[in-house]
Amino acid sequence: MSRRLLTGNGAAAWGARLAEVDYVPAFPITPQTEIVETLARWCDAGEMAARLTMLESEHSMVTAAGAAAAAGARVFTATSSQGLQYAMEMIFTVAGWRVPFVMVNVSRALASPITLEPDHTDVLSARDAGFLQIHCATCQEVMDGVLIAYRVAEDARVRLPAIVNEDGFYLSFTREPVELPDPGAVRRFLPAFDPGSAAFRASHPASRAVAVLGGAPYSYFRYEAHLAARAALAVYDEAATAFAAAFGRSWPAVERYRSDDAEVVFFMIGAFATKAKDAVDRLREAGERVGLVRPRLLRPWPDAALREALAGKRAVAVIDQNLSMGMGGVLAAELASALHGHAGMPMIVPFVGALGGRDIAAEEFFEIARAARAAAAAGVAPGPRLLYTADELREVRKLQAIAHAERPGAGGTR
Amino acid sequence: MSEAVIRSMKDLPSTHLLGTGTAMCAGCGGLQAVHEIYDVLGGRTVFVNAAGCMTLLATYPFTPFRGGWLYTSMASAAAGAQGIRDALDVLMAKGRLPIEEDLTAVVLAGDGSSYGMGLSATSAAIERGLDFLYVCYDNEGYGNTGQQASGATPLGARTATTPRGQRLRKKDLFDIWVAHRPAYAATVIGAEPLDLAKKIERARSIRGPRLILALAPCPTGWEFEPEHAVEIGRLAVQTGLFPLKEYVDGKVVHTRIPRPRVPVVDYLAAQGRFRHLFEPVRDDALIGEIQAEVDAYWRAVG
Amino acid sequence: MYRIRFHGRGGQGIKTAAQALGTAFFLEGFEVQDAPRYGAERRGAPIFAYVRAARAPIQERGVIARPDAVLVADETLVPVPAAGVLQGLAERTVLVVASSETGETWRERLALPGPVLALAPDEAGGPLAGMACAGAAARLVGVIGRERLEAAVREEIGKLGAAVLERNLAAALAAYDALAPHAGLVAEGAPVAAAGYRPPEWIELPRDTAHFAAPDIDAPATSVAAKTGAWRTLRPVIDYARCNRCSWVCGTLCPDSAIAVDADRTPRIDYDHCKGCMVCLAVCPPHAIAAEPERARAEAAE
Repeated sequence: MSRRLLTGNGAAAWGARLAEVDYVPAFPITPQTEIVETLARWCDAGEMAARLTMLESEHSMVTAAGAAAAAGARVFTATSSQGLQYAMEMIFTVAGWRVPFVMVNVSRALASPITLEPDHTDVLSARDAGFLQIHCATCQEVMDGVLIAYRVAEDARVRLPAIVNEDGFYLSFTREPVELPDPGAVRRFLPAFDPGSAAFRASHPASRAVAVLGGAPYSYFRYEAHLAARAALAVYDEAATAFAAAFGRSWPAVERYRSDDAEVVFFMIGAFATKAKDAVDRLREAGERVGLVRPRLLRPWPDAALREALAGKRAVAVIDQNLSMGMGGVLAAELASALHGHAGMPMIVPFVGALGGRDIAAEEFFEIARAARAAAAAGVAPGPRLLYTADELREVRKLQAIAHAERPGAGGTR
Repeated sequence: MSEAVIRSMKDLPSTHLLGTGTAMCAGCGGLQAVHEIYDVLGGRTVFVNAAGCMTLLATYPFTPFRGGWLYTSMASAAAGAQGIRDALDVLMAKGRLPIEEDLTAVVLAGDGSSYGMGLSATSAAIERGLDFLYVCYDNEGYGNTGQQASGATPLGARTATTPRGQRLRKKDLFDIWVAHRPAYAATVIGAEPLDLAKKIERARSIRGPRLILALAPCPTGWEFEPEHAVEIGRLAVQTGLFPLKEYVDGKVVHTRIPRPRVPVVDYLAAQGRFRHLFEPVRDDALIGEIQAEVDAYWRAVG
Repeated sequence: MYRIRFHGRGGQGIKTAAQALGTAFFLEGFEVQDAPRYGAERRGAPIFAYVRAARAPIQERGVIARPDAVLVADETLVPVPAAGVLQGLAERTVLVVASSETGETWRERLALPGPVLALAPDEAGGPLAGMACAGAAARLVGVIGRERLEAAVREEIGKLGAAVLERNLAAALAAYDALAPHAGLVAEGAPVAAAGYRPPEWIELPRDTAHFAAPDIDAPATSVAAKTGAWRTLRPVIDYARCNRCSWVCGTLCPDSAIAVDADRTPRIDYDHCKGCMVCLAVCPPHAIAAEPERARAEAAE
C-alpha cells in the first residue's frame, strides 16, 4: 500500500488499472481526457494488459463498451457532459443488455451555453437509464468507487453497468493524497470477471438484445433490470463492508456526518459535500446542531437508508448543483419521493446553486442552515432558492452592456 | 458452413442455415441476399445489427441465427462490431478464450443506417482497420418506417417523402468505402447467387474491413408483386443500373458486364415507385437522364 | 358504445375498413375512435384495426378486449392464435367471416356461443375484403344509413382514383345490402361495472437471473417455431414430373430459406414457413411450379 498525490482523473485511471480491465474504448472530452490519456500511456508501456481503442464518438464508445462486455471482457470507459449526452441513446440501450462495466463520468455543466465547468445536470440526466451511480466527494473515493462499482456491477444478482461520478475541476484536476492498495489485495476483493453463459462464443449461440412485440415482455425485461438495480442496494452494502475489511476505508451507501443529533442537515452529492462538512464544523462551534447526509449511491436510490438518516430532523436543506428546468433541483424531488408518506420526516428546504462551476461560500452554507431552520419553524416549505448574489448579477449586467452596446459607426444592421 | 469452393451453380448450398419463420415481407430481396450470405458465412459469426427492417429478424423469443446476434442502434453497429472484435482478441491474447471459440463480426445494416446515421461509425471502423464484414441491404429508402427517402434513394423514385419523385442522386456507398482503402468491397444481389457466393467466399478469406453492398429489391417499398423480386434484381444488373463489382488489391473489377445493356425503362416501368415517369404523361427527359447516367458510367468503365 | 374489431392481412385494406366505418359513424353524428394495430408491419402478416363509436365522448382507449362485433377479411386467420381473431368473443359478440362457407359451419367448427355470419365469397380474402367487412359492420349496427356509408367510402378512398373508388364502393354496398336481414344484430356493449368487478391478479415480479431476464435467446434458429406459412394466400406446388432437378434455382432464390433440396436434387417446399411470395414459380426454368389458392385447397380438404 502506498500513499501519493493523485488528481481525481489519476485516481480513476488507477482504479481501472487496479481492476485489471481488459478493454478501454475511449474518446476525449474536457475534463475527462486525462483519464484515457493516462490509460493509453500505461497500455502502450505494457504496464496494463488492456487494449485501448479510440472511437470516433461517445455514442460509439458506449456501444463498443457494451458489446465488449457482452463478449465477456472487463471494460472501463470514461466521459463527461456533452459526451454523456451524445451517448445517451446507448446509455439506456446497453443497460438493457444486462452487461456490467464501469464508466467514470467527470461532471461538467451542459450546453447551452457551452462551458467547461462543473455541475451535476449531466450525470443526473442518466438516472433513469439502468446504470448504477456512485457519487464521489474525494479523489480517494473515485479510485475506491471504481473498484466497488466493478464488484457490484458484475455480481450475478445485478449485472448492470455503473457510473462512478467525480466533479470536473474540483476533483478531476485537483490532487489529493490517495492510498493505492496492493494489487494482490484488490485481486482478492475483485476476482476476474466471469460472464458465465452470457458471452458471445462459437460454441454458444446467442441472440441478444432482440426486439420484443407487446407490453408484457417489454415490461418484464425493463422491470427485471429495475429489480436488479434494487438488488444492488444489498450487494453494494456487502461490497462496501468487504472493502472496509480489506482496505480499512468505509464507504457506506449514505454518508452521515455529525447528523445523528442534528436538527438541520445539509443534503448534497459530490465534491462540495466536503465544504458542507466544513460548514457543519463551524456551525457546531457556534452551537448549532447541524449535520450532513450525503447519498454516495444515487442509483439504486437508498431510500430506506435515507429515511433512517433523516428521521426526526427538523429540516433538510437540499443543495442541488443541477437544474431541471421548470421544476427546480432533481435531488429535492428525489428526496421527497423517499420521505413523503412516512411519519417523522423533516421538511425539505430546496436550494439550487453552484451551476457551471459557481462556488458555494461558507457564509452561504450558514445562511442555508438558518433559512432551513426558519422554514421548519414557520411550517411552510419555500420554493427553491437560487444561490446567486447581487454582486454576481451586477457583473453579468456589465457583460450584457458590452454584448448589447450600440456602437455608432461600427456597422451592423440597426 | 460450406467449406467447398463455389465454382458453379451446382456448388451453391442446397440446405439453408438461416432459420425460416422471420417477419420479413414475402418476396424480400434483402432476406434473399442475407440467407445466401449466411449459407456461405455460417454460424461462427456474430451479426451486429443497426436499426432497420432486419432488426425484426430476431423478435423475442424467435431468432433465425445459429451463431450470435446483437442489436445495437441505428448509428453505431460498426462500433458494436469493434467492441466484440476487440474483446475476443484481447481475451484470446490473454489465454482466457480458446481460439476455436472465436467468431467473425458481421455488421448487418440497411441503407438508412449505412448511407446516413451510421456512416461516421463505419468510416472510423474502416480507418481503424477493424476486422469485420459489413453487410448493407440496400432497398433505397427507410423501408421499416414505410419507405421514406434515404441517401440511397435513386433519382426519380417516389417515396413517402418524395411524392413527386426523388430529385437528388443516390450516394455512392461503394466508392465511399473504396476511398477508405478497405481490405475488400463488393456489390452483390440475391438474384445473382453465384456471383454473390463467390464474393462472400473471397471476403471470408480476407481480414480487415470488408463491405458487401447488396441491392435489395423491395416489393413493399418499390411497389411490385413479390414474385417479381428476382426479375427486378436481374433487370437492375442487366440495365447496368446496379454494377456488380468488387474492390480487391487496390483495384475495382466488374464481375458482370451487361452486354448489351437492357434499356433502363424496362427496370423503371416494372416498379410502382417510378410509375409517375410513365403516367399520366411520360417523362422522357428524366428517363433519358437516368439512361444517360448509366451510359456515362459504363463508358467510363470502358 | 359500439366496439368493433376488423382482422385481416396487410394488403386487404383493414386499416381503411376501420376508417370507413369510423367516418360513417362520424357522419351519423357519433363520437368515434378508430385505429390500426400492426405487429411487424409486413405485407401478408396478420393485422387488425378497431372502431369505437358512441353518442357521448369516448374515454376508453387501446385495443378492444370485449368486442360487440368481429369482422374477419381473411378466413385463414381464424384458427391462427397469434392473429387473436377469437380474443374476447362472448355470447353477444357477432362474428363475420368473409368465406364461402356458411356462418353455421363456422359456428360449429369453432364451437362459438354467439351468432356467426358469412360474407359472400366474391369479397372473401381479396384486397376488397376489408371494405366488404366495413359495409357489413355498417349494416349490422343498424344505425348507419346507406348514403352515409357511401359518403364515408368516398371520403376514405376517393383520393385513390375513380376506378379504385368504384370497386370499393361496390364491395362495401354489396355487403351492406346483403346483410339487410341482420340490421341491428350488433348491439352497443355495456361498460365494465365498478361494482362487483373481478380484481386483477397482480403479482410481485420475481427477480430472475440476468441472462434469463434479458431479451436474450440462447437456442439456435428458434424462428422455425413461427409458422409464417399462415401468411400465404397462394401455395406454390411443384410438379415433380416437370422439375428438372437443377438442384439450386428455387432453393437458392427462395428469400425465406423455405425450399431445401434433397441429396437426390429434389426440391422440398416447407409449407409451414413458405409465405407464398411465388418467387420460386417466377424463376423455375421448366415452369414446374404452379400456384394454388389456399382457400380452394382448404375447401377440397373438407
